[in-house]
Amino acid sequence: MKKKVLAVMLSSAMAATVLAGCGSSGSSDTAATTAATEAAAPAATEAATTAATEAAAEAGSGDYENCTLTMDWWGGDSRHEATQKAIDGFKAKYPGIDVQVNFGAWSDWETAKAAEYVSGNNPDVQQTNFDWIGKYDADGTTFLDLNTVSDTFDLTQYDQSVLDICKDSKGGLAGIPVAMTGRTFYWNKATFDQAGIETPKTLADLEAAGATFKDKLGDNYYPLVIGEYDRAILMTYYLQAQYGEPIISPEGNFSYTQDQLKEGIAFIDKLEDEHVIPTEEYILGEGADSMDKSARFINGEYAGIFEWDTAAKKYITALGDNGSNLVVGTPFADMGPKGTGSYQKVSLMFSISAKTEHPHEAALLLNYLLNDPEGVTAMGTERGIPNSKAAYDTLDKAGMIDPMNAEARKAVEDSNPMYWNPLFDDSSLKGDSPALYTDVFDQLSYDQIDEAAAAEALYAGYTAIAPAK
Amino acid sequence: MKTKKKNKFIKNNVGFFFVIPWLIGFCVFKAYPFLSSFFYSFTDYNLFKGITKFTLENYANVFMNAAERKSLIITFKYAFMTVPLKLVAALFIAYILNFKIKGVNFFRTAYYIPSILGGSVAIAVLWKALFQDDGLIRTAFAAIGIEMPHFMSNPSWALFMICLLRVWQFGSAMVIFLAALKGVSNDLYEAASIDGAGKWTQFFHITVPLITPVIFYNLVTQLVQAFQEFNGPYIITKGGPLGSTTLMSLLIYNNAFTSYNMGKACAQAWVLFAILMVFTAIAFWSQKHWVYYADEDGR
Repeated sequence: MKKKVLAVMLSSAMAATVLAGCGSSGSSDTAATTAATEAAAPAATEAATTAATEAAAEAGSGDYENCTLTMDWWGGDSRHEATQKAIDGFKAKYPGIDVQVNFGAWSDWETAKAAEYVSGNNPDVQQTNFDWIGKYDADGTTFLDLNTVSDTFDLTQYDQSVLDICKDSKGGLAGIPVAMTGRTFYWNKATFDQAGIETPKTLADLEAAGATFKDKLGDNYYPLVIGEYDRAILMTYYLQAQYGEPIISPEGNFSYTQDQLKEGIAFIDKLEDEHVIPTEEYILGEGADSMDKSARFINGEYAGIFEWDTAAKKYITALGDNGSNLVVGTPFADMGPKGTGSYQKVSLMFSISAKTEHPHEAALLLNYLLNDPEGVTAMGTERGIPNSKAAYDTLDKAGMIDPMNAEARKAVEDSNPMYWNPLFDDSSLKGDSPALYTDVFDQLSYDQIDEAAAAEALYAGYTAIAPAK
Repeated sequence: MKTKKKNKFIKNNVGFFFVIPWLIGFCVFKAYPFLSSFFYSFTDYNLFKGITKFTLENYANVFMNAAERKSLIITFKYAFMTVPLKLVAALFIAYILNFKIKGVNFFRTAYYIPSILGGSVAIAVLWKALFQDDGLIRTAFAAIGIEMPHFMSNPSWALFMICLLRVWQFGSAMVIFLAALKGVSNDLYEAASIDGAGKWTQFFHITVPLITPVIFYNLVTQLVQAFQEFNGPYIITKGGPLGSTTLMSLLIYNNAFTSYNMGKACAQAWVLFAILMVFTAIAFWSQKHWVYYADEDGR
């Protein structure tokens, strides 16, 4: 009997078990730093712009210590290559500062970073997401207030209104907003030509295209494809276009009633009913990890996407020889009485760890990557069209701003985008199930719940993180 | 006298010093997380917001909350579908590979390979290529006029697809069965043949009883692994569609590392642990009725 007890205990136990050193170096150039700050004022003339660009580069001069910095970012191969090239340039310009890098794809990146924030092991310099300020820097102790290194990093290259968005709870500047982004439509012109219609300019055009596609091209052709999170954003555009208020206010309050939410959900439901977008069951059946890997998108059966204005490149690459078929659309002016209902947000940021032992050197690195012509040229537009005036001028003069990227950015800017609160991307709402956007829009599409139940679930989810007004 | 005592003490306890590194590792990496997770399971601990209250809700929700209850039910379905199927498949193939057939080593290797592939990206790609709408299986059946279900997007079939992956990876259980089959004396089969017993009779009345300890071992280990399955649904379906493949381990992972609700995740892990304890205990209790240990008197 004792043996049996021991065996049970052993078996249970088995089950449970399965369950930068510094030295002194560099040259002093305080005058250059001062000049940079002064010269970086908004450039009204080309001469002034050139001076600002040069000054932005000069801002990165001055004393520095030999040390090793750590830095990480996420992205695709082209971003990795560009960033590594820029870092090589930095190391050549500042011998004695080594930069150890860590980079990877977005998948599971945030999970790993969250663990680093908890343990306090985040790197000196880091690519960060806008909503990470609220998530991981709620008490303002995770990211360095970049105002404290403004003598090294040239903040004058950024509009104050953009910098203000990236403030933490203590009013410190938690990150440098590298670029802004918003959603717009991209259309596969070849498929629309095949259907004998023009790419949609209005919501009415899009709604009419559903039936045309079905009649002329077949059941497997759709003018637009959107996943669960895209549906939440398009629903938000629709609601904001109807009522003219951001879905979550700057004060963190949810702006709409449950009935109003139901209208937005009905709008998405209608798009599915009218063959404008495929059902989630149809999308998931293909088993594609993302839309740029979807054979149905690549062969033109899905003729439209609703994507960030910074994301066109991967879709063009996916289309291969037919990449030129992809054209930029605009948010629809007839979405509602209050306009397009669009919003824009900070695409991504760069932050410096509050725990870094080398804030000055970390700021030097950031300034090189984001403001210095050498670094900016190497970085290109891999993170969108830069907010930095010096960087924009450098890339513009070099003809490095991708016309399609610029066109998409302009489409969003011209759509009079609204304020966007990062609570919209709260982990209880966005992400894999159990997250509300996925769960609600999947259940709605699979006819597991009706519009009223979907509205009730979404309303409860929103108001749990952003109390109703 | 004192030195003698000291030497004796060292002699008697030297073994203890050798196991200190393991004990430290066990305490830091196993015991502490194990016990602290039990504490956190009674709190609303969020990784970034800390603890605001102590509660039993986490445990109640495993059974009361619809999504968590669904996950629990799916986990049971998964375990009860895959464990018997995997054991039968492993035993059947091991039985065949125990015969002296040409190229037996090649077949043994071939059948073992899937189990070392585990839950890799390659497996995800392979499974999608087989089961997606335009995949090999649906295309092949369509060619002969049979409409197969949408495995990837139909909630009723997605779990079946994930189960198949686990059953397919029966190699490790098969190797253990094969070793056990080799241990069954040929004399018994010869004697049975002389008495007129056919192959099936020999299998069920000689082979199976003599390898019941190994069947028991495989049953317990496969049961534990099935309840803890994570890789398959994570890499292929991410728990979808409609949460139909969200097994408990995946739910725990999502709660802990996507939503950061550590308290909830810890409670779910402890419920899973309790379930495994119960099933393991039942398995051990039941062995006196069906497991034959040759070196003991009777069963």
